[in-house]
Amino acid sequence: MTEQVKVDLVLDLKGLLCPMPIVKLSQAIKDLPVGAVIEGIATDPGVMADVPAWAKTSGQELISIEQRDKEYRFLIKKVK
Amino acid sequence: MANNGSVQKALEILEKQLNQPLKTALEVCARCGICAEACHYYVAEPKVEHVPAYRAEQLRKIYRKKHNFFGKYVSWLVDAEELDDEKFNKLVEMAFSECTLCRRCTFNCPLGVDTPLVMRTIRAMATATGKAPEILVMLADSAIAKGENPEIFKEMFLQQISQLEKELQELTGNPEAKIPVEKKGARVLYVGLAGAHTIIPPAIIFNEVGEDWTLSIYEAANYGVFLGDVERAKKIAKRIIDEAKRLKVQEVVVAECGHACAALVWDAPNWFAEKFPFRIRSVVEVVAEYIQKGKLTLDPKANSEPVTYHDSCNLARTGGIFREPRIILKAVVKDFREMNPNGIENYCCGGGGGLVALPEYYEKRMRAGKPKAEQIKRTGAKIVAAACENCKLQLGDLNNYYNLGVEVKGLVDLVANAILYRKKAYASSN
Repeated sequence: MTEQVKVDLVLDLKGLLCPMPIVKLSQAIKDLPVGAVIEGIATDPGVMADVPAWAKTSGQELISIEQRDKEYRFLIKKVK
Repeated sequence: MANNGSVQKALEILEKQLNQPLKTALEVCARCGICAEACHYYVAEPKVEHVPAYRAEQLRKIYRKKHNFFGKYVSWLVDAEELDDEKFNKLVEMAFSECTLCRRCTFNCPLGVDTPLVMRTIRAMATATGKAPEILVMLADSAIAKGENPEIFKEMFLQQISQLEKELQELTGNPEAKIPVEKKGARVLYVGLAGAHTIIPPAIIFNEVGEDWTLSIYEAANYGVFLGDVERAKKIAKRIIDEAKRLKVQEVVVAECGHACAALVWDAPNWFAEKFPFRIRSVVEVVAEYIQKGKLTLDPKANSEPVTYHDSCNLARTGGIFREPRIILKAVVKDFREMNPNGIENYCCGGGGGLVALPEYYEKRMRAGKPKAEQIKRTGAKIVAAACENCKLQLGDLNNYYNLGVEVKGLVDLVANAILYRKKAYASSN
């Protein structure tokens, strides 16, 4: 997925447990301009449910979310 | 003094929240100062701002301005004050970063003054005026969004559970081991947290005892509680209450999570003014009962390193769940060492009240966690067990910050380990 979208920030969320991946994501997106894309890499499967809910609540765009072996990768675009 | 909109709104919230327990907390204080030594903030850094009575006094001054005869007309006589923007901002900072709502001060107060209730009220005032930490608001709203639109995560959740089920089968060597989801008529609805670590160990235990269980699609965490926002907290809890009703379960079992347990077990029946058609308990109580009833055969040799136990404030102090963890530990641990004080007198780890989710207060919570770090160090334990997710996160951070050289585990981790250890021993002997 990263091949098609220019990623502005890679967020290493590996080893973090609920709710820290979402906390770190919320913090990181604040410092980016509108239009920027974050790639998050987590190991906690909880992100598969939490990131889409966070995107809906915060109004940011979830471009994709997928599992690769034991890692969960998602792309979030800052839209506001 | 002219009040701006947010101060006015905050005062309205204060008026709205003024029930008898809050009025009592705002009117009663002997100023004896016993609460000072009860507070982990004060023990870590003895200064007046860390005395619970001082903190409560900051809102009492505002309360007296309206509700005390002298406060209204001769404010200086009773130290009554108008609320303004600057004071309100200080109150908010204090309520979110200098009190973990652990209630140790209340338990040690000769008059039982509920200072955490005062802090919760300030948190509610902050939330209503948009001054609460936005991460807590966002976490609460994400949970509500999941309840309103389960389709945004359910498919992915089910995929993850199916993978976790395979992991469970590999771990237990039992191809029949299951993680049922949305099973109608199951006896138990287990509510975990986001993440495998709160699902796999209980799944090992439930499968071992042959429990008729099903996993909730929601997580137990309730950030509405930390915001002092009963409406948000109710919406988050309602997802689980409705699911339990829909599935017609007999019991809801809450993951190792202090505030979630407090919200579902003790607050929810009051919030909804309802007697639920099912029982709600902590997984700690349920596992202790399995052990007492002889449903689990466990070998303490599985956990041979010295273990100490940190009592979660919500479970031990609020809920009285301090015997059950020790029933579990005695069954699964070879060398259990109490930290002192413990049980209902245990010090807060410093991460409660939502603080672990607020990176801006990291240094503050590390300093406030010093008494806990010292307690742990004195035990000489290599493993610190806890039955609360917030506590575990904080204990992990304290471990790194103070170089404690310990490992942090849940009670269910130790039980699951003892089950798997026995299975492995049995397999190798045959």
